[in-house]
Amino acid sequence: MTTLIASLRTTLSGYIKYRGREGHYSFLLHRITGLGTLLFLAIHIVDTATVYWMPELYDHAIAIYRLPPFLLGEIGLVFCVIYHGVNGLRIIYQDMVKPSSWTIHTQRRAARWTLALSILFWLPAAFVMFRTLLAHL
Amino acid sequence: MTTATAPARVNLKPKPNYETTAWKWMRYSGVLLVPLVWIHVAIQDVIVGVHNIDINYVALRWANIGWQVYDILLLAFTFAHGMNGLRQVSFDFFQSDKARRNLSWIIFVAWLVISFIGAMAIIGGARTHLLEP
Repeated sequence: MTTLIASLRTTLSGYIKYRGREGHYSFLLHRITGLGTLLFLAIHIVDTATVYWMPELYDHAIAIYRLPPFLLGEIGLVFCVIYHGVNGLRIIYQDMVKPSSWTIHTQRRAARWTLALSILFWLPAAFVMFRTLLAHL
Repeated sequence: MTTATAPARVNLKPKPNYETTAWKWMRYSGVLLVPLVWIHVAIQDVIVGVHNIDINYVALRWANIGWQVYDILLLAFTFAHGMNGLRQVSFDFFQSDKARRNLSWIIFVAWLVISFIGAMAIIGGARTHLLEP
């Protein structure tokens, strides 16, 4: 148990203290957005499956998603999905197509472009969703 | 006098194992998931919106074999990609072979159970006839 806690602490402090700038931040963002999306996905599969297993429950599940905090969470979820996708494509390109681009300079520039592109794709979606949120207050 | 023999050629490329295959499939599925998930999110979250979604909407969607196939693909690829990602992240925190093997089994079983729950719903469709009028 003590070794487990020591191992958790070593890994987590490494995540935080490592000073890899853009590469480090995109690694962290990729993991956070991925795990966040997975958490929602697991819940989402089960709540949608109620239409078959327990149809009377589905309305209640959807009612929760219509609450303002969940609508805000949904806007965040869309950012996670967009960032994880754009950054994933960058990793796939650098791994499978052009491994020579795994240099610090290229990677830093690519990481900045990835974030900029993700925000650009996310803003119109966030705008539409936020407008819907306000309309249903 | 002895002559120096040339060192034997060493093959540094390891044989592909399970992790190599998993690594590759994270990338293959990633390429597929970008259009698959983005189209799903654009339609359901942005264009239609959760305020316009109810059980009849789901019933209507899954009455269409095209959307059923789409959602089966979505379920199969997103959740497998995500659960394998979780496995990889968890390996950062658990170094012993035993802990990793146990974690892999737990994640695999969770993946299997939740995938079954979801797949049955997509194939069986929304059972609106069970609702009281």
